[in-house]
Amino acid sequence: MNRRSFLRKSLVGLAAATLESAGVPGMLAPPAAEGAPAPIALTMAPALVEMIDGTQVFMWTFTDASGPHFPGPVITVRSGQRVQIALTNALDELHAFTVPGVVSSGPILPGRTRLVTFTAPAGGTYLYFDPLNAPVNRVLGLHGAMVVLPAAGNTPYTRPTPAVQQLFDDLGVAPQFPGDAWLAPPANRSRLWLFSQTDPRFNAQAQAGQTINAAKFVAGFVPDYFTINGLSGAFASHDPAIFPSGNIGEPHLIRILNAGVATHSPHQHANHIYILSVTGVVQGNVLFIDTFTVRPLDRVDWLLPFVRPPDIAGDPRTPLRDLLPQELALVLGNVPQSPLSWPMHCHMEQSQTALGGNYPQGLVAHMEIVGDVDKVPFPNQPPPP
Amino acid sequence: MAVPVIPRPPVPAGEVAMFFKHICPPTFGGGPVDPQPATVELARNLLVGEKFRIPDGRDIDIWIIEDPDDNVGGRVFPSKAIRVNQGDTVRVRVGSQGDTHTIHWHGIEPSPVNDGVGKHSFEVSGNFVYQFTPRQAGTYFYHCHKNTTLHVEMGLYGLLIVDPPGSHPNFLPRQSFTGGPFYHVEAFWVSDEFDTRWHTLGHDAFMQDCVPDDPVGPQTFSRDGFLNQFKPDVFLITGVARTSDATPIADPRVAVSARVGQTILIRTLNAGYTVQQYTIYGLPATVIAADGRPLGATPETRYSAPFVIPAGRPFRLTSGRRFDLILKPTRPGVYPATVEYFDWITGRRYAVARTTITVNR
Repeated sequence: MNRRSFLRKSLVGLAAATLESAGVPGMLAPPAAEGAPAPIALTMAPALVEMIDGTQVFMWTFTDASGPHFPGPVITVRSGQRVQIALTNALDELHAFTVPGVVSSGPILPGRTRLVTFTAPAGGTYLYFDPLNAPVNRVLGLHGAMVVLPAAGNTPYTRPTPAVQQLFDDLGVAPQFPGDAWLAPPANRSRLWLFSQTDPRFNAQAQAGQTINAAKFVAGFVPDYFTINGLSGAFASHDPAIFPSGNIGEPHLIRILNAGVATHSPHQHANHIYILSVTGVVQGNVLFIDTFTVRPLDRVDWLLPFVRPPDIAGDPRTPLRDLLPQELALVLGNVPQSPLSWPMHCHMEQSQTALGGNYPQGLVAHMEIVGDVDKVPFPNQPPPP
Repeated sequence: MAVPVIPRPPVPAGEVAMFFKHICPPTFGGGPVDPQPATVELARNLLVGEKFRIPDGRDIDIWIIEDPDDNVGGRVFPSKAIRVNQGDTVRVRVGSQGDTHTIHWHGIEPSPVNDGVGKHSFEVSGNFVYQFTPRQAGTYFYHCHKNTTLHVEMGLYGLLIVDPPGSHPNFLPRQSFTGGPFYHVEAFWVSDEFDTRWHTLGHDAFMQDCVPDDPVGPQTFSRDGFLNQFKPDVFLITGVARTSDATPIADPRVAVSARVGQTILIRTLNAGYTVQQYTIYGLPATVIAADGRPLGATPETRYSAPFVIPAGRPFRLTSGRRFDLILKPTRPGVYPATVEYFDWITGRRYAVARTTITVNR
């Protein structure tokens, strides 16, 4: 099992037929309307996770029929749906499962299985994790995302604020958003970025069966690795399940969660972004910013509008393929400049490292614009693999 | 029972060059690429070494981006601000001395060859002319984007202010953005920190080896770096180091002076690596713009509105974020303000920098 496919293969909670039709990385397909799916079986078990530099680090992971996952598999459900999760503790100490405010398993003894049942809450992005010995167990790998789709409406939320509703209604309709209207849910127009950090010295203590003092963990935590969906650096940045790609006029929803202990400051180049929801609070005042704050346990949804980058010199009415012929024809370092790409990265620049250096092999992603709003692809793109 | 392994993904076939470029960008010079008629032409050179006197009396090394066309004020820290008008087509001729560097214009959104990120374009060899047209007045900044963790911390950044069309930098009151408030007094609070242990490093410290046909081989990684550990011991606002937690900064680059009835604009920027908390005592502040975008003032920002931070209410910014604040004092007085610096993991408060807003009759 590898992390690159964790979104493709691990959309649990929905009917299997719907998962097959989902197919595309990061996609949130509409779940089957009838009937609750079978209980989701998750086992908390050890795994060795290979970091960006090849070092294998011991983790506690959520494991399902397809193997261990770091982070845990994405659970996607419909608001109001009855959800059952069968949790087995295959580790040597007490573990538990919680989605704050939604469900809490209580401590589960080693070797035991506990069934939790809950009603999927309002539409939005949630973090599930082991809350015991906080933050240790969660940071050592026991965390994952739960996406709840609203029962109705064209936004990600059951009760969108007027500002959020207006924004989604304006996509593809209002003059400032030429391009596609927002479909609910859109095909391949969503991404999920689960941030975390790893200090392997503590993972080694867990591997040796030592008890870890939570206060000493936080005080002594020196992260060697910074991950999005378990990946760092070039691996995260070039993963199609992580980076959004589209034509101008194809907005993307990005769900960001932070399961670690470091506060991140993700910064998107090329486009400003709309902050839709912060840790369960759909925003009444939707800031349009280029950098935001994601603290431990925060969940931030943002809308990447995929507008034409506004500060490109030249007449804004000229299609980019006609305005940037030299740039689109350049090949630099054996890599074509077409399609156009820009980074997303955390601006707390310590997070851009691996092993205390090796910039930029830390918390990075990117975005790619492949064509104009008329959906004519930019010239000189490399052939698909 | 064997513990299962989740392996690192393989480098996809056909993407080795892209993975290599991520780590070891190509170099390029000349430009501008796809030139447009320019209305403003500027120059910047980096990396320029300077000495900075810190409160304990030591001189530490810092690096700045100089304006080579300004013999008087071209070598300052923070690097000299760029100030242009919305709608200007700006060209900046960037000289990269001694080694390759880039300049990224944070919050300005040009094409990739003008965006200054090596792994998505190139690093500047010799000279390169960046070109962009800012379309939204506001507060931005520029910084080197090579080995960024170290280079930005060492000082390779400066403000980039975009004024509304037709503005003149010497003419007050000035409008913040088209349709926005006019201000009589302008302040820049660029909060930053130094970890002086970092200030003995070379510009390519702890960079990964460049091996084109095995770019992410385990042996290519540097293993003795400490740029994941930022423990600051110097705390600054707009290039002025605070001497203690108790002593307010009086330097006019930081401390604000205004009269009753005037409008003050404070442009805040977290240029550091801690979680910074600002508090202004005795005066409410209205946030009129964030990251260069005016709240509620344009079609793109109609989903937002300016909001008031009550007097004495703290707000926090993480690295790279900007808030533009409007204050309209109605009573004379000396109003304290603080910036507190918190560790990004432990939340420990390292220091507090104090200054004042003095309002005269």
